[in-house]
Amino acid sequence: MEETAALAVPIFAFLFPILMSPVIMAAGRRSAQLRNALALATTAAVFLAVVSLYPIMMRGEIIQFTLFEILPQLEISIRVDLLSFSLAALASFVWLLCTIYSIDYMAREHAGSRYYPVLIFTLGSCQGIFMAGDFFTLFIFFELMSLIAYILVIHEETPQALKAGYKYLIMTIIGGLALFFGIIITFELAGTVSLAAGPLVRETSLLAFLAFISFLIGFGMKAGIFPLHVWLPDAHPVAPSPASALLSGIMLKTGAYGLLRMIFHVFTIDVIRAGGWDKVMGVIAVITILLGSAVALTQDDIKRRLAYSSIGQMGYILLGMSVLNEKALIGDVFHIFSHAFMKSALFLAAGAIIWKTGKRLVSEMAGIGREMPFTVGCFSVAALAMIGVPPLNGFLSKWTLGLGALESGQPFYVFVLLVSSLLNALYYLPIIVPAFFGGLEHEHGSGFNIREATPRMVAPIVILALSTLLFGLLPTNIPFDLAQLTATFLLRGGP
Amino acid sequence: MFTAAAEAAVPAEQLLHSALPLMVIVLPMLAAILLYLPGENWEKPRKALSLAVCGLTLLGSALLLPGALAGTVEQQLIGFMQLGLYFRVDLTGWIFGALIATVWFLAVLFSLTYMDYEHNRRRFFSFLIFTLGATLGVVFAGDFFTLFLFFELMTFSSFILVIHEQNRQAMQAGALYLYLGVAGGLALLFAVLLVYASAGTVVMGPLLGHLGGQRTLIYILFLVGFGIKAGLVPLHIWLPQAHPVAPSPASALLSGIMIKAGAYGILRVTLLLYFPAGHGSPADWSYIARLGAVLFWIGMVTMFSGALMALLQTNAKRILAYSSVSQIGYIAAGLGAAAYMGLEGGMGFAGSLYHIINHAFFKAGLFMMVGAVYMLTRELELPRLGGMARKMPLVAITFLIAACGIAGIPGFNGYASKTLLHDALLELHAHYGYFSLYLAERIFVVTSALTICYFIKLFRGLFLGPLPDRLNRTCRLSLTANAALSSFALIIIGIGLFPNLLLEKLILPAAARFGFEGQAMDHLAHFNFFEHHPLEAMLVVVLLAAALYLPGAYRGWFNWTPPQWLSIHALLYRPLTNLLMSAVCRGGSLVDLAVGRLYDRSGSVARLWCRYIGDFDGVLDRFYEHTGKAARGLADRSCSMDRALDQAYSKTGLLARLLADRTSDLDHALDEAYGKTGQAARRLVDRTSDLDHALDEAYVKAGDSARKLVDRTAELDHALDEAYVKAGDSARRLAGKSSTWDQHPEPPGAATAKRSWNPAQWNIKNLNFDNLLLAAVLGVILFVVFYYGRR
Repeated sequence: MEETAALAVPIFAFLFPILMSPVIMAAGRRSAQLRNALALATTAAVFLAVVSLYPIMMRGEIIQFTLFEILPQLEISIRVDLLSFSLAALASFVWLLCTIYSIDYMAREHAGSRYYPVLIFTLGSCQGIFMAGDFFTLFIFFELMSLIAYILVIHEETPQALKAGYKYLIMTIIGGLALFFGIIITFELAGTVSLAAGPLVRETSLLAFLAFISFLIGFGMKAGIFPLHVWLPDAHPVAPSPASALLSGIMLKTGAYGLLRMIFHVFTIDVIRAGGWDKVMGVIAVITILLGSAVALTQDDIKRRLAYSSIGQMGYILLGMSVLNEKALIGDVFHIFSHAFMKSALFLAAGAIIWKTGKRLVSEMAGIGREMPFTVGCFSVAALAMIGVPPLNGFLSKWTLGLGALESGQPFYVFVLLVSSLLNALYYLPIIVPAFFGGLEHEHGSGFNIREATPRMVAPIVILALSTLLFGLLPTNIPFDLAQLTATFLLRGGP
Repeated sequence: MFTAAAEAAVPAEQLLHSALPLMVIVLPMLAAILLYLPGENWEKPRKALSLAVCGLTLLGSALLLPGALAGTVEQQLIGFMQLGLYFRVDLTGWIFGALIATVWFLAVLFSLTYMDYEHNRRRFFSFLIFTLGATLGVVFAGDFFTLFLFFELMTFSSFILVIHEQNRQAMQAGALYLYLGVAGGLALLFAVLLVYASAGTVVMGPLLGHLGGQRTLIYILFLVGFGIKAGLVPLHIWLPQAHPVAPSPASALLSGIMIKAGAYGILRVTLLLYFPAGHGSPADWSYIARLGAVLFWIGMVTMFSGALMALLQTNAKRILAYSSVSQIGYIAAGLGAAAYMGLEGGMGFAGSLYHIINHAFFKAGLFMMVGAVYMLTRELELPRLGGMARKMPLVAITFLIAACGIAGIPGFNGYASKTLLHDALLELHAHYGYFSLYLAERIFVVTSALTICYFIKLFRGLFLGPLPDRLNRTCRLSLTANAALSSFALIIIGIGLFPNLLLEKLILPAAARFGFEGQAMDHLAHFNFFEHHPLEAMLVVVLLAAALYLPGAYRGWFNWTPPQWLSIHALLYRPLTNLLMSAVCRGGSLVDLAVGRLYDRSGSVARLWCRYIGDFDGVLDRFYEHTGKAARGLADRSCSMDRALDQAYSKTGLLARLLADRTSDLDHALDEAYGKTGQAARRLVDRTSDLDHALDEAYVKAGDSARKLVDRTAELDHALDEAYVKAGDSARRLAGKSSTWDQHPEPPGAATAKRSWNPAQWNIKNLNFDNLLLAAVLGVILFVVFYYGRR
């Protein structure tokens, strides 16, 4: 009984939103409230469904089955293991919060009836990526998500948005093609692309390296690593803020997820090390980290600054992958969680500020913390987490990553992490500090002239900001435990 | 997580497990939240709660004393942040903790009055109390991770105190404080990570043997991390800016207590982490001696330059801030000397620890006394102040006491610690005998003299001289403020008069815990502060100070403002930060732009290629067009040819039809001709048929006549037959008579035989073949017979 239920959950998780999106679209014609309610119900249902897998996952089981076969060895299949579960749960959680946030945020925007179905559809395809049982299925959902997300990027339909969207589209297609190429090479080398088949390529060869590079381009494009990041700082800021939060918080992670799958299911750590490919990733990661952080310093548009910060943070994740020991992997997976919480909170808070005051530029934001104490307070908590102030979760991921790097004798990586933290401080603190304490050259305004955004917008921000703090304070840090289990699971190479 | 090495770190001492350290830390933190929640106007409950929390914290710290004296008090929180928190209060930690709680209590007591003149009181008290918890966490931490955590919390919460004024100056100073704090925190984090990676634990204990090749790097990182907080030259730049802009009680705590958190860290790292366990190898001792030398000289430079800079300031709080830099130099030099001397370094350690205690009291007191003046006058610039002694006699007296303390006048607390530090320097010189160490001792004396000079300057500027008219109004301090200031004065005098009490009860046991031993410790155990030797040294200092101050004040040396370009800020930091920042920003942007442009260019190159391909396509197109045209021409031609053919065909068709018509005509004609011939033929046929009929009839008639002829012949035949039969019968009768002839009758044809052998019937008709054959055979036989008979 439980087993069949468990089989149904993954299908439900990605199929239900996809099926619901036309329904929501139809409902949007009737009434906006019905549409919003349906969108919310869908995300909530997906979240609950995914979370219901928790006991099964904790037992270390893997759900795996084939839906149907297209060609021999080429099939649409489902596989849910700890990594899939962690990311799927994270994605649906953040999605739920962003949908709640959207209700008020999008009330002022146009084309809500286009926005919600697309948002829900993207959720479905995102879940599909995480629950795909082979690279071919993964590729299908990956492309689906990327292409549908284009509509979110160009939502504003300004020339700027269209330009950014064009860039996004081109890069996405290049990435998709590279990914496809990589999958084909893998198929050629191994005869199958199933995740369940264990490491598909067991020795280095030119073709294998080509596959590696193709995967790196394909997934790295989505993850925004140097030098494939160019679309990111354009595309993320122009999207509506809840969509930016999802783009930066979750959809970037699909790239990281793909890279993890590549490392552990296409290749093995030994192959990666033997080929020296971890060095390739390490160099790219270091450049990505430093570049993202450095350029973020020069941005005045708050959302652009956050987008560049995302690039730097994705560099951390890639760095963990290049180190590839247990600690680094724990840090890696945990940083995926941390960054999702932090960056979503930051984007949502920035969105609330823009929504309420219309101010986009950091230089205009002096004193804004006194008007919107909760929003900016949460922004500050998330930003401090970014800098790596204990006991926030950003510190823990940095600590674990740093330990991993040191264990493999790479103090330079730790230095890079810390320099980037300092740069994080240099571009986040000038937002926070004037927001609370600036803009009062002559008056000593002690009272708070509060003009917060609506509760439905503030609540998700608060929840996300608290998740950066509370998980660290609670005796059992669920994301960290999951990260630990996932890392050992991946390193053991399956159950 | 870090329990493994905990037991090894503190051998053979009593371990007490108690939640008290945690409670002492958490209570202020929770209270801080409680303080922030109610509205801005809840003045009385806020003050009461703040004071109560500080009192309780002080009480809690005091309750830790028995445990700390007996051994260590431990508390572990496994699972917090996945790394676990570990608190361990030993005697040194307790001394710091008690010091913090005491000074904090007095500062809060003073704030009750002081903050009435300030805005944002809710925020101030809340963060002030929170910082208390964080600072206690730093000194009660049992491992470096816990220490780091609270260190960061302290940095961030005290930042709020620094920028309390929120004017431009405060924001700038705050930014510097914050960024350097974060940078220091990151250096610290790097160091802690490296310790953990190489030793597998971050519990505070002797780990020198485990640190491996990175130990120098780790030490430098620790020194940077803690040195920033402590204000060691050249990392002190934030301090003279940040301390003066904070509200006075906060400055008092920043200068009196929080920089000691940095000193505490340096103490723990140098004298615990890097101190060889037990009796280490000579190599280890020489290594720690070198580290000690580095720290010692940093301390000396800090000490001297701080004092010099203090002398040149005109802002009262800036003088005190630079004075703090200078005093932290004393402390660092003492710690350096302790490490320099190895196990014999008890004197330096005791001097440092003692000076930490003393400095906390007099510097916090001084800041509050200046704060009391500021509170009522809103003025800090010395040239615009003066004569306050008449307005605030109590403040003037307590200030004088505290100044005597810091100047090291016998009978006040600074004398005790400075004497110990001076002795440590003398011992160092005696032990190593380097000239540089002799010089160091001289620098120490000069610095102490300078200290006296700037305090004379400060005291004169504040309290003596004419009272500006502007400030001529009643100045009354509240009871609590007076109580706080008086407490400081009493503590200073108390320690000054009974210096051995603290030394013997607390500092010596603490030093013994660190493993110091030998001559220095013996000396310390029976130290007499009031014998002629240290008094003489102090007299030299005072005389030197007089010799410096009198001409200096007369000539106005101390009003000289060093040019801006000479400051360390302009010389080192600004160019460095500008360079780094521009390198980072410009470098990053350049790379990013370059990549972006690369993509754009690749786009345009691709477009160019596309154009080429387009051109090629055009060519192809034209080619196709041409061939098309040619083909069409061909097709046209063939079409016209076709048409011609068509026409030809149709013409031939026509002709053929004509021909056919003709033929058909001909045919008709022929037909007719045939018809006619037919008719003619029919007629001919008819005629022939008639003829035929006639012939037929003629034949029939001829037939009939023939039949009749035949009949007649038959009848004739018959008649002949009958005639033959009659003739036969008559012949048979004749034959019967002559039957001898019938010799060979043939049975099958009796009748025939009868007939054949009826010679009467023999005629031509009856002569049949048999007979003929017989005759022939007979003839042959005859012939043969005849033929052969002739011979």
